[in-house]
Amino acid sequence: MRQGLRVLNVAFALTLANVPALAHHSLFAVFDENQTVTLKGVVSKVEWVNPHVYLYLDVSDVAGKVTTWSVETFPPGTLRRGGLTRDKLGLGEPVTLLGYRARNGKDLVFLRTITFADGRDVVISLGDIKEVR
Amino acid sequence: MRTRSLLAACATVVVALGSLSQGQTPTPATAPATVTPTPRTADGKPDLTGVWGTGGGVGVPNSVQKGDTLVIVFQLEGADPFEGKNLFQELDRRGSARKAAAPNKPPYKPELAAKLKEASDLQSKLDPAFYCKPEGVPRMGPPSQIVQTPGQVVFLYEGRNTFRVIPTDGRAHRDDVEPTWNGDGVGRWEGDTLAVDVTNIIDESWLGPDGWFHSDALHVVERLRREGDTLIYNATVEDPKMFTGPWELTPRTLRLMRNPADALVESPPCIERSAENQVTNDHH
Repeated sequence: MRQGLRVLNVAFALTLANVPALAHHSLFAVFDENQTVTLKGVVSKVEWVNPHVYLYLDVSDVAGKVTTWSVETFPPGTLRRGGLTRDKLGLGEPVTLLGYRARNGKDLVFLRTITFADGRDVVISLGDIKEVR
Repeated sequence: MRTRSLLAACATVVVALGSLSQGQTPTPATAPATVTPTPRTADGKPDLTGVWGTGGGVGVPNSVQKGDTLVIVFQLEGADPFEGKNLFQELDRRGSARKAAAPNKPPYKPELAAKLKEASDLQSKLDPAFYCKPEGVPRMGPPSQIVQTPGQVVFLYEGRNTFRVIPTDGRAHRDDVEPTWNGDGVGRWEGDTLAVDVTNIIDESWLGPDGWFHSDALHVVERLRREGDTLIYNATVEDPKMFTGPWELTPRTLRLMRNPADALVESPPCIERSAENQVTNDHH
């Protein structure tokens, strides 16, 4: 995770000239950029669908009560092309993730980073890949 | 610093529907000089058969592996560093500016301006494609694959697992079917160009994501021309109830995709789950 966070210090940009025409919903309409949430739980379901892949995360509180969070991310084609196939999304495993919480207060986040049980991190980003290398 | 960097990095995440590589970027109509001869079928027509793409998808890396960290990037060419607040809103603002500055828009009648603005403003509520309905003709653009046989041409579209069967045997439009998202297309050869005349398109579809509605009078003529390993796609769109005149789509140039990895695969289904969580009408 530490390594993943270092990657975040790369500056990304908002230049939209090359954003594909088929963008889906506004992030602002759904998520709060000022409210990041760190969640630890077990991936109970992977929904490999367009226009967004969803993970479902079972999070237990100290009393053992389980809350299932919805975790929205890129479309399947984008994840797959980046090497994150459906079988690498941690189904049934404990993960730690960081996301932006939904503005309507639901247990819903947009995925920013996720750390899997085997130590792999995935960072979801947007920008010029040349800046990331 | 850490929080701000997190925001800067994540605020810009834009999510797109399905395959992003197929013909999304308008390109000039002029085909590059080629020495590859255009293959022809037994009847002497150009053979359009093949997988056609821009080459921008499969095969172009969109991730970087750094140690145990995989960074998956939604590519924005030449993106400049951005530091600021209200990044999510800024993303929308720039998206709206980009759409407003689009160089080639349908020529709507002036009296439709208010209705058009309303549709554009409410895109995230009204755009059928947002809700996983088909894009339809002509919004979905050129096919991802063409299969040409005597008397018919089949268009395949990977993004939404869509097909069109276009007869080229001289038959007329059929009059026994309901309006559909892709309409009723019949093909004819204009020299070496395949022209597909499309009518009976459902009036529910949009011509683009910026509120571009149309009427049941929509008439589209798509033209496809192969030059070697290049395919040029044009379309003329007429809607006498909505437009002041014909609208020529920005031509697209595709190239033949020979890599086995470019073979079409079934797209995962489109299931819209975000709309109910939108607390504003903001959109790109």
